[in-house]
Amino acid sequence: MEQRAHFTRKLEELKLMVLRMAALAESAVHKSVKAFLEGDADLAEEIIKGDSAINDLEDEIDAFNLELLALDQPMAVDLRTIVGSMRITVNLERLGDEAVNLSHRAMFLSSRPPLPFNSKMEKLSETSKAMLADSLRAFVDGDVRLAEQVCRTDDEADRLTIQLLKEFINDMVTESRIVERGVHAIIAARHLERIADLATNIAESVAFIVEGDSLKHNCRG
Amino acid sequence: MGNIKVSSENLDFYYSDFKALEDITMDFEANKVTALIGPSGCGKSTFLRCINRMNDLIAGTRVDGRMTLDGENIYAQGLDVVSLRRRIGMVFQKPNPFPKTVFENVAYGLRVNGLKDKALLEERVEESLKGAALWDEVKDRLNTSALGLSGGQQQRLCIARALAVEPEVLLMDEPASALDPIATQKIEDLIHELKKNFTIIIVTHSMQQAARVSDKTAFFYMGRLIEVDSTKQMFTKPKNKQTEDYITGRFG
Repeated sequence: MEQRAHFTRKLEELKLMVLRMAALAESAVHKSVKAFLEGDADLAEEIIKGDSAINDLEDEIDAFNLELLALDQPMAVDLRTIVGSMRITVNLERLGDEAVNLSHRAMFLSSRPPLPFNSKMEKLSETSKAMLADSLRAFVDGDVRLAEQVCRTDDEADRLTIQLLKEFINDMVTESRIVERGVHAIIAARHLERIADLATNIAESVAFIVEGDSLKHNCRG
Repeated sequence: MGNIKVSSENLDFYYSDFKALEDITMDFEANKVTALIGPSGCGKSTFLRCINRMNDLIAGTRVDGRMTLDGENIYAQGLDVVSLRRRIGMVFQKPNPFPKTVFENVAYGLRVNGLKDKALLEERVEESLKGAALWDEVKDRLNTSALGLSGGQQQRLCIARALAVEPEVLLMDEPASALDPIATQKIEDLIHELKKNFTIIIVTHSMQQAARVSDKTAFFYMGRLIEVDSTKQMFTKPKNKQTEDYITGRFG
């Protein structure tokens, strides 16, 4: 029998729990983007209601990790896996919150005439979603190179956000009737940019788990 | 790197034809605790015993390379082994008090070294027992048999006995493995105190104990030193795959 088989099984169980939470958070992000771009209030409401499932999983994983730390006294890569997964779940929970925030914007805008901004928002939302997908793929595969790539892409997300804000401001200056909707769109863009930041945090935790090194100072200016 | 107290240079050790240690090179800093870890038979205890030439007592053993104390080769010809062992004390796995009183156990080494002055003897015994965090528990029973003490007290008595002759280095071979958790905790607290005055080298099978008490950790495997680094580094981010596999319990 493999040594420490029982503990190894518990670590596998931990990874599956994190992945289950990741799947919920990623799905909430995707749906909230869709609800926002399509003005779908029903979908937005579904996301807001579903957030508690993500929060519950965070509590469950925290309790599981606490037990592993107390009872198995893990060392080295095992210790980093547990600490890293705790960091990842904090970020997944915040991703759920960002999806809720975006859904609130979607609900507000759903009762208003469509905005001319959507095509511009799509590029940022695609970038953020791709970063999130890559950060989770990096976690599953323990792929530090992919994690580094996510960190580097964060600059692109920041650049897209700034560009969007400038364009929104220009649009609002020329067309004052859209100011109210424009402000909501600016807030929504900020949420999309936060999603990219949180994906970056997850990627950093992957590098910590695999190599014990922080990417924080290498990937961010 | 601080002041080097003990240093091993390309040390090989043989039990007859069997090479138990191969090419061990490492330094021990003064006033630090270094833990030696590794699976049974890896050579860690053999290496510990090389540091005060305890292996000399086993027939057919041989050492190549150098072991130095303050830069002086302890395997040099003509070196006085008794005085070496006064400078490098040792505490063993099982408490081994002499069948004498508490007082006489601690005074023994001092008497062997020729100390006769009664007042001075009493003073040194008290100091040593205080140093081993045992004084308060035995001060009213100094003249009763040491064999009546609990296992944890006996082990601290052995530490007091080692401290009495004022060594510079203290070797500990699994000093808490026969003790309960509370007694173990006391020994570990004591190690933290003792390192202010001594250089401590401890062999332990408990990874958690190595992590709790030591500043540096050395991992031995099959007679070789695989990795040595700060304890913090070894238990969070070891560089060597074998070290990682051992301390995470994947083998050993």
